[in-house]
Amino acid sequence: MSNAELLLPLLVAVPILMAAVPIALGLWFDRTGWSVTALTTVGLFAATSYVAATVYETGREVHVLGGWEEPQGIGIELVADPFSALIVLLVTVTAAGLLAYTRTGGPRGNTFYAGYLLLVGGLIGLSLTGDVFNMFVFLEIVGLGTYAMISSGDGPESAVAALKYLILGTVGASLYLIGVGFLFMATGALNIEVLGTEAIPAIVEEGGSDLTLLRAAFAFIFVGFALKVAQWPLHTWQPDAYQHAPDGVTPLIAALVSTVSAYALGRVMFTAFGVEFLATTPYLQEIVVTVGAVSVVAGSTLAVVQQDVKRMFAYSSVSQFGLVIAAYGALTETALVGAIIHLIGHGVMKAGLFVAAGVIAISYGARTVDEYAGLAENRPLAAGSTAILLIALIGIPPSAGFIGKWYIAVGAIQAELWSIAAVIFLSTMLTLAYAARLLEKMYFTPATPVESPHPPGVATDGGEPNEGQESSSEHRTDGGVLANESRFERGSPDAVSLGMFILLVGIAISAVVLGFAGGLFFEWLEPFTSEVFN
Amino acid sequence: MTEESVLPLAAVLVSAVAMVLIIASYRYPNVREGWSVLAAVAKFGIVASMLPGVMDGTVYEWSLSQSLGVEFLAGIDFVLRADPLGMLFAMLASFLWIFTSFYAAGYMRGLDEHAQTRFFASFAASLSTAIGIAFAGNLVTIFIFYELLSLVTYPLVAHNEDDEARIAGRKYLTYTFFGGGVFLLAGTVLVYWLTSLTTEGATIAFETGGITALAEAAQLEPVFAQAAFYLLIAGFGVKAAVMPLHSWLADAMVAPTPVSGLLHAVAVVKSGAFGVARVILEVFGPGLIHDLPLSVPAIGEVGLNVPVAILAAFTLTAASIIAMRKDHLKRRLAFSTTAQLSYIVLGLSILHPYAILGALFHIPAHAFGKLTLFFCAGAVHVETHTDYVSEMAGIGKRMPLTMSAFAIGAAGMAGMPLIAGFVSKFYMLIGSGSVGGGYWIFASALILSGILNIAYLWPVVYTAFFESEERHDAKPLFEFPPGGKRESYFGNEDLAADGGEPSESRRSSSELCSDGGERPHDEGQPQPADEEGEKEAKGAGTPEATDEESGYAVDQYPSDTDVPLPKGSHDDHADDHHDHGDHHHGGPPAGGWERHSPFSESTWLMIVPISVIAVGAVTLGVIPDYAVFLDLATYIVEGVFGLELSEIREMSWAEILEVMDE
Repeated sequence: MSNAELLLPLLVAVPILMAAVPIALGLWFDRTGWSVTALTTVGLFAATSYVAATVYETGREVHVLGGWEEPQGIGIELVADPFSALIVLLVTVTAAGLLAYTRTGGPRGNTFYAGYLLLVGGLIGLSLTGDVFNMFVFLEIVGLGTYAMISSGDGPESAVAALKYLILGTVGASLYLIGVGFLFMATGALNIEVLGTEAIPAIVEEGGSDLTLLRAAFAFIFVGFALKVAQWPLHTWQPDAYQHAPDGVTPLIAALVSTVSAYALGRVMFTAFGVEFLATTPYLQEIVVTVGAVSVVAGSTLAVVQQDVKRMFAYSSVSQFGLVIAAYGALTETALVGAIIHLIGHGVMKAGLFVAAGVIAISYGARTVDEYAGLAENRPLAAGSTAILLIALIGIPPSAGFIGKWYIAVGAIQAELWSIAAVIFLSTMLTLAYAARLLEKMYFTPATPVESPHPPGVATDGGEPNEGQESSSEHRTDGGVLANESRFERGSPDAVSLGMFILLVGIAISAVVLGFAGGLFFEWLEPFTSEVFN
Repeated sequence: MTEESVLPLAAVLVSAVAMVLIIASYRYPNVREGWSVLAAVAKFGIVASMLPGVMDGTVYEWSLSQSLGVEFLAGIDFVLRADPLGMLFAMLASFLWIFTSFYAAGYMRGLDEHAQTRFFASFAASLSTAIGIAFAGNLVTIFIFYELLSLVTYPLVAHNEDDEARIAGRKYLTYTFFGGGVFLLAGTVLVYWLTSLTTEGATIAFETGGITALAEAAQLEPVFAQAAFYLLIAGFGVKAAVMPLHSWLADAMVAPTPVSGLLHAVAVVKSGAFGVARVILEVFGPGLIHDLPLSVPAIGEVGLNVPVAILAAFTLTAASIIAMRKDHLKRRLAFSTTAQLSYIVLGLSILHPYAILGALFHIPAHAFGKLTLFFCAGAVHVETHTDYVSEMAGIGKRMPLTMSAFAIGAAGMAGMPLIAGFVSKFYMLIGSGSVGGGYWIFASALILSGILNIAYLWPVVYTAFFESEERHDAKPLFEFPPGGKRESYFGNEDLAADGGEPSESRRSSSELCSDGGERPHDEGQPQPADEEGEKEAKGAGTPEATDEESGYAVDQYPSDTDVPLPKGSHDDHADDHHDHGDHHHGGPPAGGWERHSPFSESTWLMIVPISVIAVGAVTLGVIPDYAVFLDLATYIVEGVFGLELSEIREMSWAEILEVMDE
């Protein structure tokens, strides 16, 4: 057993075990959560880097749990290959990095960090597992962690949003479980590798009733994941969840939860079901690409009309994941690479955008598009980082957004799916529509004082018309006071810690630097994609 | 011969570094503008240092994978290479930037503009990306810089931060990203895919005379090759303002004048024309374009270039006609730019070596001429706040040198001999003539447009020098609504009697003046004008190519009737007025224009650049052989066709086609 192989179970077990530590220590100390989480996530990141380096050399690391030794169809394995290693890297980097925000930005408390670690453990498990049933288990752990995270917000909206996600997320996971049931009935296997190399190809060749079961299994699994990934029209939980989760939590959820679900879908589609099944099943490809393409258009359109910035970014995620799903549907090697790169790139960019939204909310008191007016002059660094991330999201090179889109576009053209290719090219304009709206507000609209929700003095003045003259002058003085107050409400730049700024600027820079890694990603993923497409 | 060199990268980066320095020294305006000038000079120095080598056949190349080992995208390198075509554009943009940076300093300070740091930083970044476009070695690299150029020029368009500027900015972003992010990217991906179908493997690197793999792929998938061609042309055509993708350009004139001058007459729009040149000469190649038949119902098979040429010919005629109706000087110049850019596109799409030579030479020729015109318009704006042609009567007294330079630039636009524009147009005419056949229509469009150029630029010179603020002619083309103004002077005995009696002219003009203020109430049935008036109207240099209706209007109401313009009554002007309504404080001061000498009319920061660029325009026209640009253009054409220019002179079009096919 190599070191990397031993690390795999630890990557999953350690964060879940450590999740209990802040609560236990909480009996004696008040604020240990952050330190424990920081220590754990940094350690996880280091371990993941090591595993990734090993995977780069060997191509694949497998750890069989429970002494099953040989993969027999129902043994649980943890697998690190280039695809999963990349996703685990994203998870650990993001989880560690975002602590720089939550340190001062909150939420705080030991229970919050317990949930944080649980979520991270679930995400890593979901990325590494080599078993479709085990995948369901981790899907549920991720779900639980996410409910906890969302509901850690103060207001009742957070509770409602969490409840919405609880119900819809559970429906999604249940659909997935039904699919897995069918799959097990058809093949008698749960191990992804066994499914992909032996069981499913055999059924595809034979045909018959087992093939029908298999198709039903795929349908359930796809719809289940479409819900988890928030594809239109199953996206409704996501804008609420992103908007009402605390500012410190949204980046984590937005960057990772849907991303890892999309990864899991890709894993099941390409490693378990296999390209041959996907390509030979009638209408399967058409349905997958249509779901993706419709989400691209619907998500962007909904994003354009949003006033709340976090909500706008949430709809933007619907659209960006649509691109990934459409790329899955193209069934070409290049498109798959593009989908994976876009998963990573979108995760980084969206994490950055939500961090920016949080920083701006703290330091400038702005949450809606109109309130972003004049941001560039007052908070140049936050505005600049947001601008860079938005530009990267549009897909203007060199940026993480561009390389993903390039490969997806090339893949769609190779598959000769012209309408999908058209949607992908037009998605630039759709993204531009909401990104430019924000850019224009930040840079080319002078700041206006925040409008008070309560018109000053009206309530008291209301019934006395004879005092009209006097009251109007009172209005004026009131207004002046309110303007002062509202300036105070604007928030102050002092509330933003150095760590937050470093995090934000770092993400913005990495979104650009990743734009030069197009060749590197392709090379890194080659062992995986060439195996999938033989 | 390809030589690895860091010079192309340095040429791109020097202004990017300057951008950072400009932002860093935002507290010290002199230092900040110092960086601009320094970067401009350094950039030109770097570009010029490569010129001798390039003229000797060396291509300087810097690639990301060779120097740093980083592959930009799988199988696609990030390459900057200084080849002759790139040098043509890079020399032009970097040379003109030097003078523009002085001018911009003068302009921005003269108007005491806000956000100057952002302005100069974006300006430097624009130049960086423009040079990137010039030196890009493949379609992806050019796409990168093309997109970045759209991005960094957006702050310049939206500079004013008012509604008009924001709307113009939105339109600008929409058009340019539709061109870049949709059309150009789609075309690039198609070319990548097409070439991957061939034995040579996927490539998108420019090759002189066309990508060989693409020629092979075009035989396999002719329809997709054609689609790729039109997508690429449309992508670059947006920035080249080919109709119907041109309307962003006129709106972008809300930007400060140095931007309109260097970017929206040279760097940005020329990057579109330059991209078209790359596509025609180095992606598809003239041979492939000519031989890839496009079957049009009812006409038969035509070359791929023909629709492009028709569109360009239409644009250059239509834009010239529109320009005549624009009273706002910068908008008039913008439509002139639209027309002139289509000269380049037309010349390139005729495919004849001479036409291509003319088109390539028109890139610098138009740049020098149009930059002069914009600089003049900007200088007039800074000194007198006058934006409308109708307010410029007699302004030659106030700004003699500026308006003289304007006259030179205008003559260049019209293609008068001894100015740069003539040389390029001459070659294009020879080219379209040599092809013969139906191409005569392009030659006649070129000639017609030359006449139209005079029709819309001469009035500016005329009103500046030969009219005075108290007495000047009506400008029926833009003062009256389309179709003419329903107004009659019938019954106005003063006017009728006015003709022959000079003693009464003073009185009548003052009466008319008071009349003029009430023109809207004065409406009546159009009355037949007297014979004399009609004759005068035709003799007054009225452009012949106006649409029928306005011609009728001119006949009805003699344009040389002395109608002083009532101040502030612009509401009945052509539609381009209302969107500039807020800047309406131009025109002569109360006592008429003050007379200034050429040395005291403006600041040195503006006079010197204007003089230099105007002299440049003349130099290119008088001794084109000694100014480097014609040499470069000749060298490019010789490279593309593999023939000496002297050989081409002897050959017929059919023979050239044969050579291209080989």
